[in-house]
Amino acid sequence: MTGWNEKILDIDLTTGSIKTYPLDMTMARLFVGGRGLGVRLLWDLVGPGVDPLSPENVLIFTNGPLTGTAYQTSNRFSVSTKSPLTGTILDANSGGFWGMQFKRTGYAVLIVRGKAEKPVYIEIKDEKAEIHDASHLWGLHVSETTSRLGQDRNRRNVLCVGPAGENLSRIAAIMNDGQRALARGGPGAVMGSKNLKAIVVEGSGKTEVADPEQYKFMTYETKKLLAASPLTSQALPEFGTVVMMNLVNNVGALATRNHQHNMFEGAEAISGETLSETYLVKSDACWACPIHCTRISKTEKTGEVEGPEFQTTWAFGAQCGIADLEAIIEANFLCNDLGFDTISAGSTIGCAMELSERGYVDSDLRFGRADLLAPTLEDMAYRRGLGADMAEGSWRLATTYGAPELSMSVKGLEMPAYDPRGMQGQGLLLATSNRGACHMRGNMLGLEVLGLPKLIDRFQVQGKSSYVILNQNSSAAIDSLVLCKFASMGVADEYFARTLTAVTGIPYATGDMIRVGERVWNLERMYNLREGFTCKDDTLPTRLLHEPAPDGPTKGWVVQLEPMLKEYYRARGWDSNGVPTPKKLAELELQEL
Amino acid sequence: MIDERIYEMFREIGRDLYGQNMISSHGGNLSIRLGDKVIIKRRGAMLGALKPHDLIETRIDKNDSGVALASTELLVHRTVYQQTPALAICHCHPRTAIAFSLSRDVIVPIDNEASYLLKKIPVITEEFASGTPQMANKVAEALQNYKIIMLRGHGSFSTGQTLDEAFFWSSTLEEACQIMLSAKLINEPFIEYRKMSESYSKF
Repeated sequence: MTGWNEKILDIDLTTGSIKTYPLDMTMARLFVGGRGLGVRLLWDLVGPGVDPLSPENVLIFTNGPLTGTAYQTSNRFSVSTKSPLTGTILDANSGGFWGMQFKRTGYAVLIVRGKAEKPVYIEIKDEKAEIHDASHLWGLHVSETTSRLGQDRNRRNVLCVGPAGENLSRIAAIMNDGQRALARGGPGAVMGSKNLKAIVVEGSGKTEVADPEQYKFMTYETKKLLAASPLTSQALPEFGTVVMMNLVNNVGALATRNHQHNMFEGAEAISGETLSETYLVKSDACWACPIHCTRISKTEKTGEVEGPEFQTTWAFGAQCGIADLEAIIEANFLCNDLGFDTISAGSTIGCAMELSERGYVDSDLRFGRADLLAPTLEDMAYRRGLGADMAEGSWRLATTYGAPELSMSVKGLEMPAYDPRGMQGQGLLLATSNRGACHMRGNMLGLEVLGLPKLIDRFQVQGKSSYVILNQNSSAAIDSLVLCKFASMGVADEYFARTLTAVTGIPYATGDMIRVGERVWNLERMYNLREGFTCKDDTLPTRLLHEPAPDGPTKGWVVQLEPMLKEYYRARGWDSNGVPTPKKLAELELQEL
Repeated sequence: MIDERIYEMFREIGRDLYGQNMISSHGGNLSIRLGDKVIIKRRGAMLGALKPHDLIETRIDKNDSGVALASTELLVHRTVYQQTPALAICHCHPRTAIAFSLSRDVIVPIDNEASYLLKKIPVITEEFASGTPQMANKVAEALQNYKIIMLRGHGSFSTGQTLDEAFFWSSTLEEACQIMLSAKLINEPFIEYRKMSESYSKF
């Protein structure tokens, strides 16, 4: 069969055993790859009650049938595990080069189990895998580790953890290609708990395509559409994702000072436009991506570094009341080098600032204190002082100091930049997201702000569940292919389905692909239910449900979650407690659960 | 109670369909998926002059009293919602496209916009071309692979996430057919300007 690598590499760090075996192709057809394949494998491998930081948890790295084909944005890969931050199912995906290189090795999946006695790294050269001593690398920052292991743009690629992961911070990321991140939910802590410092890949394989003529046509048409969209051909290349800063602020949906406000007076100073005029050196791109949204910025302290992205700029900016772009770029670089999720790190600092201002915590942290970003991140990575509590994420931090309501999180995962009081559908999306508050689980920004594919009323409540569900399913499908969400800002799902058909030779209608996403979503839901989560966890911070937004065009609004949630459960085919019905599971070929 | 915002969407697009000669006075219908329900035009209502009471809410998966008031094409809309990810459906009678559907099994636009957006529009035939299960299944099956299809001699069905997206495809199809008709009338050799255009008919 074309498209998929049909082999799994399974490494047990406790015993040192390295096995390979065939990928179940029925499973591959149903779950495709990436996030989908990851959750299906995790369902069997990590049962209920497993401590995410114990040797019983696993890391499952996956690519997809499109990965490495050179179809636009086909560079991504995914990791699945049980989250140490939330206790939920977790997947995170990342761009750059590592995913494409991993596909070249000939494997579809890498499973890492157990715990090594001492620090190790894994090296995979085509199909040969070895475990090496990494004592000399332990303690090093990400950039140094990546460099020492021989990162070579598209020939040899390094994935690793930094000090944050080694020290088991629950908001630690896994970093690839130096400054790319599998960020959310703390996968870096899982890797650190296994004494696994890095995974290096080097491959020479090629992904075969079933229908080269149709594949070529789809690639050509996708190129045309990405070039035709001002978002993917002008806004993202010129300003990066930070182009969203002014757009979101202008509609009154930019969370500010730990969500106390919904507009930031310093938005312009940290916008994509300002970045382009000041610290931006050039744009860059992941492998096989024409969009070029990556920023290369430069400050005196950092030199030329990647970033910052929009969510990062928001997290260290508006969320912390900081309008100092230079400090944000430096915090972003430090986060990458220490190996943190920038959203969770920034938002946890914002939470600590409010805790301090309200007297729950005795510290100098205050909104606007740009000078404290870097030392606080260092304290978090090395678990010094208050940093030790902050390394646990905002929910544990706020709970420890007696004010859990000040953590702007869902299921323990810190929220992104969007204040859902100004985007009702975004509120439902965040409340129901399986890995906690994540904006990448469905593009409600597109529908409610950007007009992709068409603008809908962002305050409308009735009927919002339909949009949220379709976009959650679509998002899960794209994460299973594995492609970049920005491609979907210029190209409709039907293109992805037709390309998947051309690559694999298996007919996937658009609806079939969305059905894959629905299957993935329901399985993730079942995983969380098995872990003890209930409908009570499908909620938002009290502030967003009960404190009316104070600013601008969103003034007076709270998230009207309850009616949307009721409609959502019904429309999902779940019972009133948010449990998928046997009928729905059978319809999705998940009846064995 | 149907949200006023939803009524406004129906009213505006119904008005434009009529204003653009895409329907007769009482022809065509629109619907949206609302969770596990569908909101659809009332049977016999004029799309060009919809009132709030002209919108009927009923279940997608089974009948309730709303079915007594809904459009005759309710079955097609329900079947499409059950078999595709559509959140909105626009059914209209674009005249030039209907004329082309009488002689072709596919309509392949020659203008730039429709080539970008639609590539190709399949034409399907159904003897009982209104409100039957056979027609509903054929339309839904075709809409699994295409966002707009033609029912020969009857009209178009298009889908989208929103009503205006579905309307967009209908409007684009009719415009493309008018251009094709004009090109035929001019009757001069066609100069191909699109790379890989031979692949459109295989889309």
